[in-house]
Amino acid sequence: MLTRISPARRAALKRMTLALLVVISAAMIIIANTDQVAFQSLRNSVMDGAAPTLDMLSRPAAALDAAADRIRGLLAVYRENVRLAEENERLLGWQQVALRLSAENAELRELEKLVPEPATSYVTARVIADSGGAYARSVMVNAGRGNGVARGQAAMTGEGLVGRVAEVGSHAARVLLITDLNSRVPVVVEGSRQRAILAGDNSARPSLRYADAGGVMRIGDRIVTSGQGGVFPPGLPVGIVESVDNETARVEPYAALSRVDYVRLVDYGLAEALPNPLSIAARGSKRADFAAGGLLPLRR
Amino acid sequence: MINLLPIATTIVAALLSIEPFHVGGYAGLTPAFTLMVTFHWTIYRPDLLPALFLFMIGTIQDVLSGGLPGVSAVTLLLARAIVLSHRHYYADREFPFVWAGFTLLAGGATLFLWVLHSLLAGRLLDLRGPVFSAVLTVSAFPAISFLLGRGQRAMMGAD
Repeated sequence: MLTRISPARRAALKRMTLALLVVISAAMIIIANTDQVAFQSLRNSVMDGAAPTLDMLSRPAAALDAAADRIRGLLAVYRENVRLAEENERLLGWQQVALRLSAENAELRELEKLVPEPATSYVTARVIADSGGAYARSVMVNAGRGNGVARGQAAMTGEGLVGRVAEVGSHAARVLLITDLNSRVPVVVEGSRQRAILAGDNSARPSLRYADAGGVMRIGDRIVTSGQGGVFPPGLPVGIVESVDNETARVEPYAALSRVDYVRLVDYGLAEALPNPLSIAARGSKRADFAAGGLLPLRR
Repeated sequence: MINLLPIATTIVAALLSIEPFHVGGYAGLTPAFTLMVTFHWTIYRPDLLPALFLFMIGTIQDVLSGGLPGVSAVTLLLARAIVLSHRHYYADREFPFVWAGFTLLAGGATLFLWVLHSLLAGRLLDLRGPVFSAVLTVSAFPAISFLLGRGQRAMMGAD
């Protein structure tokens, strides 16, 4: 077929194809930016399709990482032992405190007839891909709906909050990190109880916005989730205030977000609180409701 | 079989872009591997890296990296269109000339993406990360180009 077309016409055809594809890509950007469900099924199926390959490919890097950790551990074993012994001493003290508080808490709950908090369960998943770009902060993990992962679940490391499950395939999921431009987490300053929204801007340190007037934020203050909006339970450790100036305070996350290998996806029984993404037609009227509920609408 | 080298290397570049290396801060600064590979093959063998394939790999890369679908595709396709129109300047030129051309392209792509993302976000975004990533991209280009050139000669004969 093609051999019959003259070279000049073939070149013209190729130019037209290129132009057409540019137009299609531009249209995709516009649609994806305005309608968050438009490409959801494409996203999920590509994610599921690629997950086994990405899982396999990320193993050597993870193995190298683990080997490097082991070597570092061996080199530092004596110093580490001394440090751990000291830490153990300190933690034993805390254990006593925790036991006392736990007993006291149980008694108070009994007195108040408090409704018990919903049981939590979690899935540990390995990071198999990251966003690899300057404009998004998210990671893909090798657990999905089949493993009990659901949208809105909190992603944690031992240190603190990493992000929120934003997309779920059948055996892979995407976690939107708290540093992403689109991440908004209602938080509270521990101690002063000043509320704010932790807003990511793709930098390593998300900023605190819309803080309650009147409160004073100090460097080193602990930031935890406030539980407002109902997506995360209150009290999950997020980070500490790292800098404060006239306009914004920035938070250093507890979790080392730039090199997370494993995350725990925790189901606090609250996942239903995160509204499903809406098609563009239904959105106008709902937007106000989310904002009123303390949860800002999120893309993706 | 041999003619699949450009496509295969572009797929490898896309995978390399989203591979988690667990190095602090690396994820945000990953060099634009697919742009380097697209530039190389568009100069030397554009017939073996069709626009439709660039569209597909760009879209898949966007989806897997959690970006907006279409952003990488449009970047790679525009890069192809620009490079195709100056292709004859680069053929048979010394490497520094090609590298300078790639530097211009990478700079243009960085600016394009920054403007696009700023428009989508409705405010000016921080340009430091993207600029640093562009510097890494331009610095990594000679090595990637060398490898691609070796592969090209080994598998396709001199072009």
